[in-house]
Amino acid sequence: MIIVWQIVLCLGTVVAQATLSTLLSVNNIYPDLCLIFACLVGFFTNEYKGLLIGLTVGLFQDLLAPGGIGLNMILKGLAGSLAGVTTHTVSTVTTGAVVIVTLVLSLGCGLASLIVAYPSLDGSDAFHAITWILVPQALYNVLLAAGIFWLTHKVRHSFGVVHFARGRR
Amino acid sequence: MPRPEHTSLPIATGRRRFFLGAFILFLFLLLFLPRESQEWLGQVGGPMAIILEGPLHGVAAIQASVREIWNHYFALQQVWEENQRLKQEIQQLQGEQNRLREQAILAREFQILSMYQKTAPLSSIPARIIGRNLSNWYKAMVINKGTRDGIHAEMGVITNAGVVGRVVRVNPTTSIVLLLSDPNVAIPGMIQTSRDEGIIQGTPQGNIHMKYLPPLSPVHVGDVVVTSGLTDDFPRGLHIGHIQQVTKAATDLFQSGEITPVVDFSKLEGVLVITSFQPTVSAESPPPAETLPVP
Repeated sequence: MIIVWQIVLCLGTVVAQATLSTLLSVNNIYPDLCLIFACLVGFFTNEYKGLLIGLTVGLFQDLLAPGGIGLNMILKGLAGSLAGVTTHTVSTVTTGAVVIVTLVLSLGCGLASLIVAYPSLDGSDAFHAITWILVPQALYNVLLAAGIFWLTHKVRHSFGVVHFARGRR
Repeated sequence: MPRPEHTSLPIATGRRRFFLGAFILFLFLLLFLPRESQEWLGQVGGPMAIILEGPLHGVAAIQASVREIWNHYFALQQVWEENQRLKQEIQQLQGEQNRLREQAILAREFQILSMYQKTAPLSSIPARIIGRNLSNWYKAMVINKGTRDGIHAEMGVITNAGVVGRVVRVNPTTSIVLLLSDPNVAIPGMIQTSRDEGIIQGTPQGNIHMKYLPPLSPVHVGDVVVTSGLTDDFPRGLHIGHIQQVTKAATDLFQSGEITPVVDFSKLEGVLVITSFQPTVSAESPPPAETLPVP
């Protein structure tokens, strides 16, 4: 049953990405909701669940994206897994840690996507893509991920929930 | 010995009763007087009415105030509830009106597409856009037709206004269309007036460029750019856009131009996927030129 819910959540995230991204766009920059979802799952659970959810949501995203199948699956899986590793390396995952890790992961995934999407970009176009798409998108992702994490953290403490969806270590 | 006061009371009471009875009898008898004789009563009653007017106004004002308070603060509870119900009904009706208006706009757009589909010299499948912008790296959208509907990869996508893009991936029920503004899309086009050909390609900035225009081509701002029909996905002569800017550096071999597309990609609701078309350029060999005399 949990697996079904996880698949439904992954599908919902991809559908939201395809339908709500226009509403969420700021200066034609869209947040990568799938990456944010994979990272948050990693932060709240562990690297295994982050990996699985990242792979699933990435696969669904690949099915509706023009690029080849596999890129988003691998990138989101890696991102979810690395976000999960953060829970091992720091004693408590704070919003600051979420900001740093999400920024690094978002920049890395964006750079990989940029290289795959535009393999033959010249210098000026590449510079434009980095400054006007890659970095703003990463910052937008960080803002959303940190906001959602902070809100969830607050809700957890308000309701006295200490272990929130934390899987086996 | 002084007389106690209470002993005079029965006498006074008896007098009062007598006068009261006489006054009532007098009033009773007045009713039997002829109407003409009663006029003097009106003259007597006039000043009385003036005296009574003040208290009457006061009571009426108090009564009005009480009624107003009742109507506004107590009886309005029912009106307030009715108001809330009507507000909800208005919201519901507004939602329904918006939905119907949206359906009407969609129907109008698809009607235009349908009319164009019937008149255009090509076979096409109408499709609706169900998603877009799955990542910042591709300018793409998802349409609701796939292999089950006869869509294949590399098919051209248009509207009644002009070229939209190209199908790059097909699922059973959906397809992914890469827009003309994406750098991964390149289609052959030409300037409509000068017939000079070039390659039309998107940029990461989301603009559309026309590259490899001949260096001596008389390209001007505002020139119409159409498809040249050299590939199998688009027939010749489909509108792409207008030349917005022409650039040629001293070291460049070719001219290039920036194009303003005729299609607003962000407001698309429906498209046509080209399945086949009759090539307008004759495949037959051109008529032989006049033979020049050999010197």
